[in-house]
Amino acid sequence: MIPTQWFLILSAILFTLGVCGVLTRKNGITIFMSIELMVNAVNLTFLAYARQFHQLHGLIFVFFVMAIAAAEAAVGLAIFISLFHHRETIDVDEANLMRW
Amino acid sequence: MIEYAVFFFFAAIAVIFAFVVILHRNPVVSALSLVASLFALAVMYVLLEAPFVAALQVIIYAGAIMVLFLFVIMLLNLQKRPEEPTRPVQQFVGYLGSAAFGIGLIYYLSKYAVMELPTEPFVADARTVGIRLFDAYLFPFEMVSILLLAAIVGALILSGRAVGERAEIGAEVTK
Repeated sequence: MIPTQWFLILSAILFTLGVCGVLTRKNGITIFMSIELMVNAVNLTFLAYARQFHQLHGLIFVFFVMAIAAAEAAVGLAIFISLFHHRETIDVDEANLMRW
Repeated sequence: MIEYAVFFFFAAIAVIFAFVVILHRNPVVSALSLVASLFALAVMYVLLEAPFVAALQVIIYAGAIMVLFLFVIMLLNLQKRPEEPTRPVQQFVGYLGSAAFGIGLIYYLSKYAVMELPTEPFVADARTVGIRLFDAYLFPFEMVSILLLAAIVGALILSGRAVGERAEIGAEVTK
């Protein structure tokens, strides 16, 4: 069996890449994909700990995370479609309507 | 032994395609790389003895959510407009900060997260997961259905036409 620690390190690498994408990209859809990457890294951690501690709770949390990620993707992409209709761009720098 | 080879091969695939996701300028390439990365993660779930979750990962993530992403990219015709680099200082700080965060996280995990593996195997098939889901987690499960309904309504309202336009169409239909 592969040590739990290695899965945790893989998950840390993927989470870091997601953070990097959110912080450095301007394309709204790419930022969304980076968020999906982070969500998946956390799912991997949940499953690694579920196997480590023989608990089903981690697995069930993964289902809820998947459902919430689906809802978030649907609403977020709808927001970007709406933004594109108003501004002809999905650059998040251009979405400054609520800036003071 | 073969287990380790599979782990390293698919871990490398997941990380390389994750790099492509965040570095490539074309969002279509990013989305397809994310699909590849998610497939590699499904293999990880199989290695973690959770085959049911791996199947769900392929069906829901690679199947449904990523198709939604690709649809929106195609719909908005984004593949022809690469983003131009502006604000280099902020971008550099972003790379630096996330690199520091990642190094700190990996250092902490490799030093303190050393755990002994349990001896008896842990099987998380659809049957055990389903029984637990409809037993202890029944109420959150039903709440998720309401959340998904709210997401459907919200997405329809946000992406649909403006309210006045919709009223006009309604008036035409009733005529």
